[in-house]
Amino acid sequence: MRFIARFCKEKRECFEIVTVYEESTKIEEISKESPRIKTLAKKEPSAIWFERKMQDDFGIIIEDAFDKRPLVHQERFPRDLHPLRKDFKETQLQEAPYLQYKYEEISGDGVFQVAVGPIHAGIIEPGHFQFSQAGEEMLHLEVRHFYKNRGIEKMLEGKTLQEAKPIIERISGNESIAYQICHRDIYLQATKQNLPLSLRKRHALLLELERTIHHLTDFGFIPNDAGFGAALSFASKLSEDARRKMNELTGHRFGFEAVSFENGFIDTASFHEWLDDLEKSVDFFEDWIIDIPSLWDRFDTTGVLPLKKAVKYATVGVVARASGIAIDRRINPFYLEHGFSMASEVSGDVAARFKVRLAELKNSIVMMRNFLEEDDTKLEVTEIYDGEYQSFCESSIGELFMSIDINDGVIKRFFVRDPSFMNWQAVHIMMRHDIIADFPLINKSCDLSYAGNDL
Amino acid sequence: MIKFWNKRAQLGVLTEKPELEESLKKIHKEIKENVKKKFAGSLAIRMVDSGSCNACEAECNALSNPYFDLERLGIYFVASPRHADVMLLSGVMTFNMTPHVKEAYEQIPSPKWIISMGDCPMMQAPFEQSYAINAPVTKHLEVTHHIAGCPPNPVEIMEGFLEFLQKI
Repeated sequence: MRFIARFCKEKRECFEIVTVYEESTKIEEISKESPRIKTLAKKEPSAIWFERKMQDDFGIIIEDAFDKRPLVHQERFPRDLHPLRKDFKETQLQEAPYLQYKYEEISGDGVFQVAVGPIHAGIIEPGHFQFSQAGEEMLHLEVRHFYKNRGIEKMLEGKTLQEAKPIIERISGNESIAYQICHRDIYLQATKQNLPLSLRKRHALLLELERTIHHLTDFGFIPNDAGFGAALSFASKLSEDARRKMNELTGHRFGFEAVSFENGFIDTASFHEWLDDLEKSVDFFEDWIIDIPSLWDRFDTTGVLPLKKAVKYATVGVVARASGIAIDRRINPFYLEHGFSMASEVSGDVAARFKVRLAELKNSIVMMRNFLEEDDTKLEVTEIYDGEYQSFCESSIGELFMSIDINDGVIKRFFVRDPSFMNWQAVHIMMRHDIIADFPLINKSCDLSYAGNDL
Repeated sequence: MIKFWNKRAQLGVLTEKPELEESLKKIHKEIKENVKKKFAGSLAIRMVDSGSCNACEAECNALSNPYFDLERLGIYFVASPRHADVMLLSGVMTFNMTPHVKEAYEQIPSPKWIISMGDCPMMQAPFEQSYAINAPVTKHLEVTHHIAGCPPNPVEIMEGFLEFLQKI
């Protein structure tokens, strides 16, 4: 039973702790007067972030947890405030006195700490990495995030599903289409409607295009972090072309507002032409890059996430598939009919993640050809029914999970678990046998989202 | 390696090829001249994200792809605020990032400027005021120029840099 998420809902009389597994969902009710639960993290190590988040957001006490430090609330966050509780209404906080955060550290003769971030040397998102070093070798890494926490869960409460869409599609820019598809599925469940096949194909096309852009970007940045800049020039040209295609299809370079219930015009001829060109370029790229031994010297056996650990930490997406786990939300009849085949590697290192991306990109091109069609179907939107809804989508990083409760037509509780939230928790395992200079390469090979993780 | 050189010969020079717009060419020329005049040929930018959705970062990364290749105009993204002339700020200025953004700004040697990019820092994006947001950024820091857009595309960012250069 794969662990997917654990989160809290505030009901009138009690708190509900929802634990989502692949095949089942467990609900535990606890009283509001003394909200206490037992930790799940001893069995499912990735549950610890969920529980620490609950502790910050709702003030739930995790009785036997081995880690009770705050997660979302940082050094200057006012103490004893639980912003996701219904009675919390403030929209402006005053900074509290600085309270030191205690990092996980290994100490000993000659062991020293390297603190990196939150602002990094480059154009990337903020997050903190605390290394315990013995010379060049990394002994331990603690990943600390939530610098980008925007309070999105609270922000969406009290909005209708339509009002929430512009915010949901901007939670993580590089996974925008995936977020919109999760939102779409919840919308359809709430209106008890079915999606016409042609619209489904259009949305799937956009999702594969988003994946294409994401993977192409990585084909530049991953070799670049190993000191091979030519690949960056080559792949960034391709990803720019793909982004322009997205702009052509949706009117936006990231596809914001693209997943709608109206089928727009697609110039299929030029799209096919572009796909053919892209396929040739990717074949050339593969042929070229596979032949650079100094690059594969850096990729092979670097940042290994063994299968056992990948399963234990319930990793998802590219990271999981590179370690030999067969999970992909696209394993369903619709995708299989349109040419989906799952990419998989077993070695779990940077090279494996790179190869999984290559295989997925090639498969995306095949699928995009099959999804492409001209059509002008429209879906009339009907009334929304109250209820508790869940949906999944395979974003370019991995499995995205969204849960929305609707009451009186407005959102009562919004929860989303980005694939990055699971995978970030496994990143420290990958560092065990490598030197600190490999860290950027390993980090980039996973290419996780900070914004989606922090919410 | 031979294959690579063949490919290179086939592709030719990509830069300045896209759309070959006259306006883009003009911007390039003007930016180059302004950077030369006002910053002795090199304008160093430190990009700081204070809680964006990462689309603004993707567009800034796109500025260095072969189509735009910003560096040939003398504009560089640098690794440390201490090397920078300008801070390029994106995102909604989250509660958790505010002290770090201020600290980064303090580390920039004077004279220094702030350019904000995207709709977030000015609170014009769909995000609403919440407990975790400290935007607009003008409450905390003095912004010289703002580049609007959600996210602004690379050409708009270049135009924004030019407007900034003309302003100061």
